[in-house]
Formats: sequence, C-alpha cells, structure tokens
Amino acid sequence: MEDPIKLSYKERFSLAFQRFFAWATFPCWGAIVIGLIRFVGWYRIEGIRKVRRHYKQLSRASRKPIIVCANHLTKIDSAIINWSLASMWEYLRSFRLYSWNLPERARYAKNIFLRFLCYIGSCIPVDRGGDRNAVKKSLDKLIYLLQKGHTITIFPEGQRSRTGAVDVENFAYGVGRLVQKVKDCRILCVYLRGYSQKEFGGVPRIGERFYVDTSVVNAQTEHTGLRAARDIATQIINELRRLEQGYFAARRQ
Amino acid sequence: MTQEEVYTKVVQILVKYSKAGLTTDQIKMETNLLNDLKINSARLVDIILDLEDTFNIRVEDAEADNINTVGDSVKLILSKL
Repeated sequence: MEDPIKLSYKERFSLAFQRFFAWATFPCWGAIVIGLIRFVGWYRIEGIRKVRRHYKQLSRASRKPIIVCANHLTKIDSAIINWSLASMWEYLRSFRLYSWNLPERARYAKNIFLRFLCYIGSCIPVDRGGDRNAVKKSLDKLIYLLQKGHTITIFPEGQRSRTGAVDVENFAYGVGRLVQKVKDCRILCVYLRGYSQKEFGGVPRIGERFYVDTSVVNAQTEHTGLRAARDIATQIINELRRLEQGYFAARRQ
Repeated sequence: MTQEEVYTKVVQILVKYSKAGLTTDQIKMETNLLNDLKINSARLVDIILDLEDTFNIRVEDAEADNINTVGDSVKLILSKL
C-alpha cells in the first residue's frame, strides 16, 4: 500500500461518525430502501444469487479494499448495486460490505432530505468539474477509506451514459488515480441494466427486471503518473463494455 | 521556442477539447479551461498528456492540478523547455 493519506482529525472523525451513524440506523433505512426496491418498484435482479456469491467470496478472501466500478444509467444505480451485491442480513452481519457512494454534490445539495439520505447512505459528495482543491479533498477521503479496507462504488463514465451504452470515449480517469494510490485494492466491475432500459433515465420503470454481471479486473500498467491512470481506467471501461455484450446477448434470447 | 509559438500550439490542443465554440482569436492567456472553454474536467488529463507529447516534457500531478488557464499551461511549458 502507498503512503497513508493524511486527513485532519476532524475529517477522520467526521467519516467515522458518518459510518457509525449509517450502521446504527441501517436496520431502519436499509429496510425502507429495500422495501421500496422490492415492493414499490417491484424490481427483480436476474442472477442475484450468483452476484452475491461472487461478492461474498471476494470480500471473505481478503480484507483488502474493493473498488466497485459500474456502468451508469439511472439515478438509483448505487442503491440497486448495493442491493445486488449483498442481502440486508449480510450487511447487518458485516457492514463493511456496504459500499460508500459518490454522488455529484450539485444534484442533491439543495434538498435537505436528499442530503440526509446521502449522509446515512454513506455518500461522499463529489464536485464534478468544480474547484480542483475540493475535488482533491474528495479524492483524498476516498483513498483514506480504501486504505482502511472499505469498499467504494464509482462510475468510471463519470455520469449517466448519454449514448445508452458504456461510454468508451468520454469516461473519466479518476478511478485510475484511485487504483494507483491504493495498489492492493481489488477492482470489481459490475454491469447493471434493466431489460427495458434503452437509454439513460431517472428511476427505472416499475416492475423492471435487471440483468447484472460482475467480474474482477486485474489492471496492470507499465506507465506511471497520469498515463497509468488513463491506462487503468481504460482497462476498466473495456471490461464494462465486455460485460455489456453479455447483456445484449441475454436480451436477444 | 518562443512564448508565442508555445501559446499557439497550446491553443490548438485546447480547441480540440473545448465545447465553447470559441475561435482561436477569442482565446487569451487568461481564458479559463473549465469555465470559458467548457472543457470537460475528465478531459484535463488528456490535455496534459497531449502537452507532454507535443513539447516533450513531463508534467507532475501537482503541477497539473495548478493549470486553470491557458496562461498557466504556457508558463508551465516554458519553465520546462
């Protein structure tokens, strides 16, 4: 592992408290979120047992941090991904399985209810395209959490895909920088998509059936610095693109 | 290489990534990459790497983080030539 990131005492305490609060209140809000997904949205995940088995094997194999890299099409991808990866009982048994998430601050900052939800949902706000120092601070928090063995979920595309498919042209390289900084992290690619999802949207339609597939990426690069970040991010995006082929093949059947 | 030559090449690189629709005449040293040129922040790394390849220099992460305007790019490149 690289040199540990130094956050201020206030920042470390703030993250620890946020996580503690999320864990302490999880039986309540976790049940509500899952209830909304299952009994209001009527969402179903095909192959959920296989995905959960894979995530459980990965998390039990080692305490090393996991970066979940997923495609991005809807506003609730993070919630559905977290639900796909483990059951409520697994999260109650081991809350470290529950991933931190990285919503764009501008999307929810003005709504106090959403801000509260994001707080208890273990979200670290990211100022996409904003002040560089603020972006660096968010990145440092993520590196710190990864170095502590946490799991984070990141969308390498940087936003919901405007093309309706994994965007292999306009993706961000932030995930590459994270992987460089936390060299023993494991990268779990997750492709999630509703069978009727043709393009990006808000909330999936009620009754949507989801396809989900996962794979571990062993990103290697001979480059250093920014080139390495780009190379690693490219490998991850290409793996998501490969998983996407499985989705389209499944749809044809 | 003169400042003018560096500036011209830098602008040619930046225009490729800009969504602002500005002409090269409208781009000045104080033009901001994100706010004025409407460059996607995700593309800043590509720009840095293009600058490295064009001028045969190496830009450190900390230096890249301080590039906010066209002028910042030009000054950094001149310091490394």
